[in-house]
Order: sequence, then C-alpha cells, then structure tokens
Amino acid sequence: MDVRELAVQQLKTVIDPELGINVVDLGLIYDLQIQDGHIDVLMTLTTPGCPLHDSIAGGVKRALEQIDGIRDVRVQVTWNPPWTPDRMSEEALRQLGYFA
Amino acid sequence: MFPTRTGTETDIRLPFSFIIFAVLALAVSQLVLLAAVPALSGGAFRLPLVWSAAHLALLGFALMAAMGAMYQLVPVAFLTPIWSERLGFWQFAVTAVGIVTLTASLAFMPNQAFFPGLLLFFGIVLFVWQMAMTLKQQGNKTVMTLFVATSLLFLLLTAAAGALLTFHFFAATGANSHEMVFGLHVLFGLCGWFTLLIMGFSYKMAPMFSLAHGFSMQPARYVYALYTSGIAVALIGLFLPGRALLTIGAALLTAGFALFAWHVYTILQKRMKKVLDRPFQFSLFAIAIGLGLHVAALVAVVVGSGRLLGIIVYLFIFGWIIFSIVGYLFKIVPFLWWTHRYSEKVGQENVPTLKQMMNERSITIQCLLFTVALVLAAVALLFANVPLFAVAQALFAGLSVLFAGTILAVFRK
Repeated sequence: MDVRELAVQQLKTVIDPELGINVVDLGLIYDLQIQDGHIDVLMTLTTPGCPLHDSIAGGVKRALEQIDGIRDVRVQVTWNPPWTPDRMSEEALRQLGYFA
Repeated sequence: MFPTRTGTETDIRLPFSFIIFAVLALAVSQLVLLAAVPALSGGAFRLPLVWSAAHLALLGFALMAAMGAMYQLVPVAFLTPIWSERLGFWQFAVTAVGIVTLTASLAFMPNQAFFPGLLLFFGIVLFVWQMAMTLKQQGNKTVMTLFVATSLLFLLLTAAAGALLTFHFFAATGANSHEMVFGLHVLFGLCGWFTLLIMGFSYKMAPMFSLAHGFSMQPARYVYALYTSGIAVALIGLFLPGRALLTIGAALLTAGFALFAWHVYTILQKRMKKVLDRPFQFSLFAIAIGLGLHVAALVAVVVGSGRLLGIIVYLFIFGWIIFSIVGYLFKIVPFLWWTHRYSEKVGQENVPTLKQMMNERSITIQCLLFTVALVLAAVALLFANVPLFAVAQALFAGLSVLFAGTILAVFRK
C-alpha cells in the first residue's frame, strides 16, 4: 500500500463526532500533498465557526503523524471554496438517512 | 486559510460552572414551586414563594445556562475568544451569590431583596461588559451578532427594572408605577433577552445540527425588525392608557415570531441530516410552543384578560424558554465534556460519538414527560384545578431532578 492510500485509510479513522461520519466520506479533505516525509493537508469543515474545528483538524494531523516515515504534517483549514453537501460520498449520504 | 487551532477555545471550567449551577437551580426551583401549588392554581402568581421559584428557574437555571452556553458558543460562533476568562470566573461568583441571596430574600424577606438584587445586577453588568468586549473583537458582524447584542441590552434593562422593583419593596414606594415597571421587567426579560437570544443562537445551531446548506438568511433581518418593533410598541403601550398600542405590539411580536418559526422551517427543508436528534427536535418543538403562546398572548391582550396573560407567561417560561434551553443543553453538555475528554485523542484512538455520551432513550422519555407536564399544567391553570396542577408540578419537579442527574451523569463518560 502506498503512502497516499495509507494516508486516506488513516483519515477515515477521523470521525465527525456529531455526525458519526469520517472526514473523507464527508468530503472535507480538499487536497493531500505528500513529499519526502511531509504531508500538507488542505481541508474544510461543514460550516465556518464549527465548534469541532480544533478537534477535527487536530485529529487529521494526529492520524497522519502515525504513518511510518511521516515526519511532519501541516493541516490548513479553508472556507474557500466552502463545503457543499455534494462533496459527500454515497456512504455518508446513506448514514445521514438520505436514501431512507 | 486558518491553522489547525482557532485559538478561541474557552477554559471548560467556566461554562461548566454556570451549567452545573443551572441544572441544580432548576431542580430546586421546581421543588419550591411544588410547595406553592395551591396558590398558583387559584390564579395568584405574585406571592413570595412563587417569586422565589420563578426567579430561581429564570435566573438560576435559564440565565445561568444561557451565560454558560454563551461562554462556550460565542467564541466558536463568532470566531473570537472570550475577552477575559478571569473576569468570567469572578462574574460567575458574583452572579451565583446574587441569585441565591435574591431568591432567598424573595421567599422570606421580599422587602430586603434590594441589596441582593443590586449584587445580581452587578453580576449581570459584568457579564454584559464581558460579552460586549468579546463581540467588539469580532471581525465580520452578522445578523446573529445583532440578535445577541440586542438581547444583551435587554438583559441589562431587565435587570435594571428588576432592581427598581426590589427598591419599591425596600423603600415602600413606587406604588403608582409598580405595575408598569413589572410589565417592563416581564417584556424585557421574556421577549427582549431570552427570546432574541434563543432566536440568534438558533440561527447557528439549527443549520449546524441538521447539516443544512443553501438556505437564505435574509428573513432573519425581517424577524429582527418585526420582533424588536413589537417590543418597542408594547413598551410605549405600557406607558399609555388603553390597549391599542399593546395590541399592535403583541401583533408585531407574534408576526416576528411566526416569521422566525417559518424561517427555521425553511432552513430545515434544506437539511442533509434527515433524522434529527431527539434533543434538537425538542428545541424545535419549543419553537412551535412559543408560536402558539404568542398567538394566545395576542388574544389575551385583545380581550384584556390579565388572568389568561398570567397563565401564558407561566407556559411561555416553561414551554418556550426552559424547553429550548433543556433541548440545547442535552446537546451542548455532551459536546463540552467530549471536547475536554476526547478532543486530543481523535486520530489516535477510537473515541465515542456525541450521541454515545448520553442515553437517547432516556432523553426521549424525559422530553415526552416534560411535554405531558406542560399540557397538564396548562389545563389545570385554565380550569383552576388544584389536584391536576399538583400532579403537573410534581412531574416537573421529578423531571427537573432527573434532568439534573442526566446532565451530571455525562461527566462519568
């Protein structure tokens, strides 16, 4: 498994505690740059002023730091472009009861 | 872009100090009110024990819970840190002592309530100052800022009117203006402070808890304009003879609240989370109750029934204000404790979801029983049925104790 796949796998362990859905399926991860043991994450949250800002962004950082060979993880949260529901995976929509 | 940490988190002990005081005060207030059942059922509301219980519920519970929630929510909703946490702890101490001594005075020595009232007034001034300085730092002001800032102004006015009422008792004066000041105190407190505050934060929490996107916030401006105009017109109406202005004020308040309820409904139509959590459903249910009671208050003003208005005020305090806060506390307290216990563990180990921090089945039953108690109380008060009111109040008292237990049990998670 390459580092990118490992990183995505790790990110799927970071769950939004309010929704119970991981950050990848929620479509919060905009970009993942991996180079020479460094990871740069560009991500968003479902709403500006989200009370879980620090918990989720910090969780992303900690999850990626656990990958062997990764020395540094930088997480940046952006509101541009803002998150929209169409970024969610089918699994996330299913968990939200969208197909019920 | 923003770094990983916002730097706006509040020391968790600050909101928890207020919230723990609040849930305990609610339980005590309902037990005290139980002792006042015979008087209440006869339609007599303005008695020392009732004043004491009402203020313990409204100040000890609703005000303290609102203050605690604001210490947590203002930084995250307005992206600005609390101006001075140190002042926050002092403000908690002054306000808590003020509430305990004021409610005790109202019960046993109403003519001596002035000095505890002044202490409480000082605690409220400190809080308003704290929030004003915090909101001043906010970069982009929103319509939510307008709701919250206006509600703070009304909190100050409510406290000033309350202090004047206690001075009337203390100095045995003001008999000719006492009724008018009492009217101001109720109008400013229930509509100006609590309702505007709950409306303002509902605009943050409704989309957040339902994951709603793509809705318009434009109607919020009209809600604000209508509701504050209603308060202003009703205020003038209290000074003038006749009911015409009071009726227009009540109509504007009802129109503003109806627009608010409709706006929240349109926000929920845009939600992604199809099944809403029970606590949030309860807060939404409180909006429906609030709407019904605004319409009922308008009718009571038109027909000029003071007795009906008294009953509506009681139901408004429970059905709209306390139910809203109970619903939101069921969401806020697990979140605060989760953040304290598990935030730093996210990404390293499995952590519970917020839903797992409380027993949802128990919450569902409590919300249902709170509703049953309110319906029983409404019927009992309308028909002046003392035994039925005793049953309703006993249910409220039991539920308040259970609610306090449920909230405190979160700290074991």
